[in-house]
Amino acid sequence: MRRIPTLLLLLLTLAAMPAHAAEDLVSGLSTDLIQIRSDFTGTDIVVFGAIETFDPGTPAEDRDIVVVIRGPEVPRVVRRRDRVFGLWVTRRQIPFTGLPGYYFIASTRPLDLVASADTLERFELGPSRLTADTDVPASPEEIAQFHAATVRTLTREQLYWENTNSIEFLSRSLFRARIPVPSTVPSGEYRAEVYLFHGGTVVSAQSTPLFVDKTGFERELYDFSNEAPFSYGLVAVFMSGALGWLGFALFRPRG
Amino acid sequence: MEIYLPIAEISVNWIMIVGMGAAVGFLSGVFGVGGGFLLTPLLVFYGIPPGVAVATQACHITASSVSGALTHWRRNGIDFVMGGVLAVGGLVGSILGVQLFRILQQTGQVEFTVTAGYVLLLSSIGGLMLNESVRAIRARRRGDPPQLTRHVQHSWILRLPLKMRFRHSKLYISVIPPLALGTLVGILTAILGVGGGFVLVPAMIYILRMPTGAVVGTSQFQILFVTAVTTILHAITNHTVDLVLAWLLVMGAAFGVQFGVRVGSKLRGEELRALLGILVVAVALRLLFGLVATPDDIYSVVVGVP
Repeated sequence: MRRIPTLLLLLLTLAAMPAHAAEDLVSGLSTDLIQIRSDFTGTDIVVFGAIETFDPGTPAEDRDIVVVIRGPEVPRVVRRRDRVFGLWVTRRQIPFTGLPGYYFIASTRPLDLVASADTLERFELGPSRLTADTDVPASPEEIAQFHAATVRTLTREQLYWENTNSIEFLSRSLFRARIPVPSTVPSGEYRAEVYLFHGGTVVSAQSTPLFVDKTGFERELYDFSNEAPFSYGLVAVFMSGALGWLGFALFRPRG
Repeated sequence: MEIYLPIAEISVNWIMIVGMGAAVGFLSGVFGVGGGFLLTPLLVFYGIPPGVAVATQACHITASSVSGALTHWRRNGIDFVMGGVLAVGGLVGSILGVQLFRILQQTGQVEFTVTAGYVLLLSSIGGLMLNESVRAIRARRRGDPPQLTRHVQHSWILRLPLKMRFRHSKLYISVIPPLALGTLVGILTAILGVGGGFVLVPAMIYILRMPTGAVVGTSQFQILFVTAVTTILHAITNHTVDLVLAWLLVMGAAFGVQFGVRVGSKLRGEELRALLGILVVAVALRLLFGLVATPDDIYSVVVGVP
């Protein structure tokens, strides 16, 4: 729900734009549905776009493209271990809500050259600028440390990406970005956002939904385990019993 | 070769998982233990979330104990009365354990508790096993006559009330020790994802003084009940039983066990126990290292609400 103020802001920003900045943006996705089946090992999607009514008068160094993919919100708990009598024990945990389960950002130049810190903050551009809420009392320094640890860990797990220079220009106005999606991505609704910046301000933006969903057997099993956990447990035990019996029957000890 | 696990929500190399099941099944065939104490840490090491590893292990052990219990039942090696009393204790322990597991998960202490629990359990049991088997091997080399097992009850057990007759085991003892033992093993199953045979079997021999012929079968019988209930409880409470993972492990183990049994029958009992002792102590040391060594990142991030 935190996305609504940002989008509203974006619309207001665009409405306030002077009319002569006429460059506009169209973008699309190579797919709008990623299906997780039993052979799913991760995939790539391609975001492509074009700058319409391309204005050759705008200096190339003033023009920046930013591509963002945000996954559905996933609540997380961040823990810090400390040494107690020689053993590493969890001493502090802070739960975070509001962080996307997947986040990818690519830009034509390093983000701090694209726009001011304020603008980047407002559009949550860059993993370190994603806002997170917690219901645990903690000092801002502590929150910052735990937030940085979250971004570091999720980047290591290939769920968060920050790529400069990964937007490929096919012509002066046509571009694309390849987005790696690992097998550990959460399912749910994603949004692909493409921003066109001119000299540090957003002149055009597009947001396209994208769905990641388990399908077929995987979906059914997952739903079954959540909607009818008792029956699911019974089936698990029954399956184990049957397999155990089968093992006994096939390899029956002689005599 | 990759297969997606719908509950663990990661994709794994299925040959690897079947291989792990087979390797651990082989060891359990050789040594006659469930092997959960090896498989749970292996799965976590491979990247399966600990909650899923523990719950799925309970499901996997159900399958192997069904096979085991059936085999022993054919040989008349199960004391159903004793197994029943142990199972009642086990059910209580399992319910307590699953609740405890949830509390640990909420306070963020699951990983530490599970690892520390393994270290304590494995080092003490491995140590005892090594000590006993080395003595037995030395005694044999010196040509001592084998020690006779004294079928005398501990006096404190004889003083306990609520005595009951266990015809198959030729025992007349209080139900309190087997109930307590069952409860302890139930808690271990729920928290550590082990069958608990390596606690149950020695305790039945040395504390309850059961005849050895009925010990393994009876423990399999109790483990079957406790792991089945634990599977259902984990499925209800934590939604962490992954059927695809369980199926792969069971497939591997079913084959591994058969080879293991053949190898095991060629080794002497003392040597077997010494080897198992070394293995158990090695696992304990590896886990202890994980608790003591400075982690790469002192922060860790998990999905969920505390």
